Amino acid sequence: MNHALLEAIRQVCSPDVLLVILAAAVYGIFVGAIPGLTATMAVALLVPLTFFLDSVDAVAAIVTTVTCSIFAGDIPATLVRIPGTPASAAYAHDAYALTRQHRHVEALTVSLVFSVLGGMFGTLVLVAAAPLLANVAARFTSYEYFWLFVLGLTCAAVVSDQSRLKGAVALCLGLLLSSVGLGTDYARPRLTLGIEELSTGINFIPAMIGLFGISEVLRNALYLKTQRGEGIVDRNATREVGGEAGADRTKGASEQDEEAGKRGLRRAQREEKTVLGHVLLMAVRRPGALVRSSGIGALVGMLPGAGADIAAWIAYAVSKRFSRHPEQYGHGSVDGLADATGANNAALGGAWIPALVFGIPGDSVTAIAIGVLLMKNITPGPEIFDSVKNPQQATLVYSIYVAFVVTNLLLIPVGLLAVRASSLLISVPRRVLLPIVVLFCLVGAYAMNASYFDVGAMIAMGLLGFVLESRAIPLGPVVLGIILGGEVEHKFVQCVTKSTDWTAFLNSPISIGLAVACLAMWLAPLLMPRRAPKQQAVLNDNG
Amino acid sequence: MNWIRLRLGILAGLLLLAGCGGRGEFPRRPITLVCPWAAGGGTDRVSRQLAVHLEQELGKPVNVINATGGKGVTGHRRGLQARSDGYTLAMVTVELNMLHWSGLTQLDWRDCQPLMSINEDYAALLVRDDAPWHSLAELEAAVRAQPGRLRASGTASGGIWHLALAGWLRQQGLAATDVVWISSAGAGPSLQELISGGLDMVCCSLPEASSLYKSGKVRAVGVMAPERLAGFDEVPTFVEQGTDWSLGGWRGLALPLGTPPDRVEVLERALRRVVTGQTKVMQVLGDGQNHPQTFPEFLQAQGFDSTWRERAEFTEFLAAQDDKFGRLLTSDAMRSVGRDPFPAWAFPAVVSAVLGMSLLALAIGRIRGESSTQGATALPWPPPRRGIIHLGAVLGAMLLYLALSETVGFVLTGGAVLLALLLLFGTRWRQALLIALLVTPAVYQVFANVLRVPLPRGLLGW
Repeated sequence: MNHALLEAIRQVCSPDVLLVILAAAVYGIFVGAIPGLTATMAVALLVPLTFFLDSVDAVAAIVTTVTCSIFAGDIPATLVRIPGTPASAAYAHDAYALTRQHRHVEALTVSLVFSVLGGMFGTLVLVAAAPLLANVAARFTSYEYFWLFVLGLTCAAVVSDQSRLKGAVALCLGLLLSSVGLGTDYARPRLTLGIEELSTGINFIPAMIGLFGISEVLRNALYLKTQRGEGIVDRNATREVGGEAGADRTKGASEQDEEAGKRGLRRAQREEKTVLGHVLLMAVRRPGALVRSSGIGALVGMLPGAGADIAAWIAYAVSKRFSRHPEQYGHGSVDGLADATGANNAALGGAWIPALVFGIPGDSVTAIAIGVLLMKNITPGPEIFDSVKNPQQATLVYSIYVAFVVTNLLLIPVGLLAVRASSLLISVPRRVLLPIVVLFCLVGAYAMNASYFDVGAMIAMGLLGFVLESRAIPLGPVVLGIILGGEVEHKFVQCVTKSTDWTAFLNSPISIGLAVACLAMWLAPLLMPRRAPKQQAVLNDNG
Repeated sequence: MNWIRLRLGILAGLLLLAGCGGRGEFPRRPITLVCPWAAGGGTDRVSRQLAVHLEQELGKPVNVINATGGKGVTGHRRGLQARSDGYTLAMVTVELNMLHWSGLTQLDWRDCQPLMSINEDYAALLVRDDAPWHSLAELEAAVRAQPGRLRASGTASGGIWHLALAGWLRQQGLAATDVVWISSAGAGPSLQELISGGLDMVCCSLPEASSLYKSGKVRAVGVMAPERLAGFDEVPTFVEQGTDWSLGGWRGLALPLGTPPDRVEVLERALRRVVTGQTKVMQVLGDGQNHPQTFPEFLQAQGFDSTWRERAEFTEFLAAQDDKFGRLLTSDAMRSVGRDPFPAWAFPAVVSAVLGMSLLALAIGRIRGESSTQGATALPWPPPRRGIIHLGAVLGAMLLYLALSETVGFVLTGGAVLLALLLLFGTRWRQALLIALLVTPAVYQVFANVLRVPLPRGLLGW
C-alpha cells in the first residue's frame, strides 16, 4: 500500500506531469473566470487532449482544471457580480459588496486561500474515508434526497432573515421559474405560455448571468455619470446635466467607485502582502468554521446529484446561523465568503468518493473522468483499491489524491497571479467596463447551449433582477429556487409514486436528521436571543 | 503613447485577417455537431469521440454543442432544423422515433436526411446482488404474485427503458403498471437508488451499469437483445429465457433536409471510414504506451456496441422502428404509461399561492407604512433622466444583438453594440473604436479556437 503511495507521489511529481498540471491550472482559471463556461464544459473540452496523456497525467489534468475553475468562478463574481460558475452563486453578492467597499483584493485573497484550504480538506476526507462514506452515500434514497434539497431551500430563509416576506417572494419566483417547461416527471410541458421554446425550461446558467450580471449593469447604467471618466476631465462629456436630485443622491455608488478605482488599486498593491497574512491568520483563528464548512462541502459533494453549488449554499447558510455577525451577511461578510468558497472546493474531492468506490459519478465532472479512465482500460469500482490484485490501479487512485494536493498547492501562486491580474479590471473606468461586461454576458449566455433563446432569457432575467432589486427583494433566493425547484419536486414525486404512505418520509435516521436540521435552520433565530441589528453601519459601508 | 496605439492597431488588423476563411472544397470552415443530451453522458462521450475522428478525416474542426432539455426535443430540433448547408450535423437517438408519438413534437424521422447509424444499445434488467430473483421467470412470478409492489426505474417515465420494461410486461400478459415506474433523470441516479434499496430493479443498457455490474453490486437478469452482447457474454437474452422480446436504443447521425447531395456524400464518406475503423487517433492506454485507436475500438473499450448501418439501411431501420414504437406507444396498455404520476399543476399552484400571499402581505405592510426598503439596499428613486436613457440603450443594444447576430454575425453585431455603448457612456471616439476593434475579434477567436464554441458567423463569413 505504501509502495503504491510512493509510486504515485513519484509519478505525479515528475516534471512532465507537473507541467501538465501547470497548463491545466492556467486553462482552468481562464475557463472558470469566463461567465457561462462551467467547470464541466472545461473538462469536456479537455477530453480530446487526454488521449495523448497517460492515465496519471489525464486524471491530474482533470482534477486541476476543475479545482482551478471552481476557484476562478469567484473572480468575476467578486469584480462584476457575475458568478463564473454556478458554484460561486451563493456568495456572489457578498464578494461583490466587498469590492464596492474597495476590498476586492481582500475578497479575492479570501476566495483563494479558503478554496485551497477547502480543497485540501476535501482531499483529506477522500483519502481517509472514501469507502466508509461511500456506504453512507449508498443509503441515500429519494426520501433522503428530498430532505437534503429541502434543507437547501431552507437556506433561502436564512439568507433573507431581515425580511422573510421578501425572501419568500424571491424564492417563490425562483421555484415558479424552475417549473417552466417539460420536467422529467411529466408528459406535458408546463407554464410555457404557448411559446414552444419554453418547453425546454429556463436554463439556469443564462438566468444566473442575467439576474446577477445584467441587473447590476442596468443599475450602474442608470446612475452612471458620464463626464467623470478616470478622474481627468473628459472633453467630450458635455451631455451630463449636473445637479439632478437623483444623481446627487447616488453619488455614493457610482462616482465614488470610479474615483476610488485607482486609489483602491494602489492601496491594493501596497497591501497585497499584508492581506495574505491577514487572511491566513483568519483561517487560523476560525479552525472550527473551516472544518464545518469544508465538511459540509465534502459530504454534499459525495452525493450524486448534489454538487459544489448546493454545498456552497448550505455552508453559507450554516455559517450565517453560527456567526456572531449575521447582520454582515449579504453586505460583504468575509466569514460567509470564506466558508462558502471553502465548501465548494471541498465538494470536488467528495465527488470522487462514489466515483471511485462504485463507479457512480458524484457530479458531471467525475462522469467525464470515469469515461476517460474507461478509455484507458481502467474500470472504477471496489477493486480499484485492491493494491494486491491491481497494483497499477491502486497507484492511480493514490495519484488522484496526490494530484489534488499538488493542485491545491500550485493554486496558491497561480491564483495570486490571477487575483493580481484580474484586479486590474477595477482600474478600468466604468464607462469602458460596462459595455464589455454586456458583451461577455451576451456571449456567456449563448456559449452553454449555442441558443439565442438563452440570450433572450438572460436579458429578461436581467430586467427581472433589476426590478426586484429596486424593490429591495434579494436575488439569492431566486437563484436558489431555480437551482433546487426542479430537484425538490422531482424527488417528491418519486417519493409519492413509490408509496402513498407519508410516514415513509421519516423512515430512516438520515431523513430524520436532515429534517431536524431544516427545522433548526428555521427556528434558530427564535430560539437564540436576537442581538441588536447593526444595519446602519453596514448600509453606510455599502456606499 | 502613439506607438502603443500603432501596435494595438496592427494587432486588431491581424485579428481581423485571421478570421477570414479560405475558399475551396467543402468543408471550408468548422462543422458543428449537435448532441441532444448533456455533457458527461453516454451520447455526449460518443459524440465527442466521433467529432475527433471526423475532424481528422475532414481536416476542419468539428465542435460538439450540447442542446439539452425537453426530453431530447430541443437538441433534435436544433440539429435537424439548422441551415441545411452541411455545416450542422445532428446526433440523433432513439427518441426521434418516440417523441412525436407522445405528441411532444411534430418532428419525426421523415424530417431528416439520415446519414448513418453508429451504435445500438439493448435494454437489460438489473437487480441488486442480494435480490431473490435469478432468472426472468422468477422475476415474472414475483410481479404476478403481487402486482404493483415492485418498483423500477432507469429513465423518465415514458422514456426508452420504461418502454422496454412495459413492453416485456405486456408480452407476458401483464399490465404495464404491474411494476411501478419511478421517473428518474437517467441510469446513474436510478442505479444509485437501486443499491440504496429504493428500487427493486433498473432497466437500462449494460454499458451504463458496467462498473456496478462488474464489481458484483448488481446482477443482470437478462438482456433484451436478439443475441448475447460482446463483453457481457454471461448475460442471457430474453429470447433464450422464452420471451420473444427485444428492444434497444440507438444513436446515429443525420442532417437537416435539403442538404446538397455532394456535401452529404463527403460527410458520408468520412463517416464510413470512421465507423469501419479506418481512422486512428493516438491514445495512451493504461500501460503508458501509445496505441492508435479506431472508433469501433473506442466503443468497445467503453462497453458500447458498435453496430452501424449504411444510409439506405439506416433509413429502412428508422421506418421500421417508427412503426414498432408507434404500435407500442399508441396501444391502450401503454397509454397508462404516459400518464403523469402526480398532478403536474400541483407544484406551480402551491408556489403561486404562496407567492400571492407574500405579495399581499407586503402590500398590506406598505399601506400600513412599514419601510419597504428594510433589510436590503434599495435603489435611489427617481433615477436621473439621463440614466433612464442609458438603461434603455443597454436593453436596446442587447435586443438588437439578439435580433441581428445570427444573420449579421457576432463580430459585426457585437462590435457595433460595444461601440455604441462605449460612446453613449462617454468614451472618446478613437478609444472606443480601438476597444471595439480589439475586443470583439479577440473574443471571437478565443471562443472559436480555444474554447471550441463557435459564435454566430454572418456576413463576413466570420
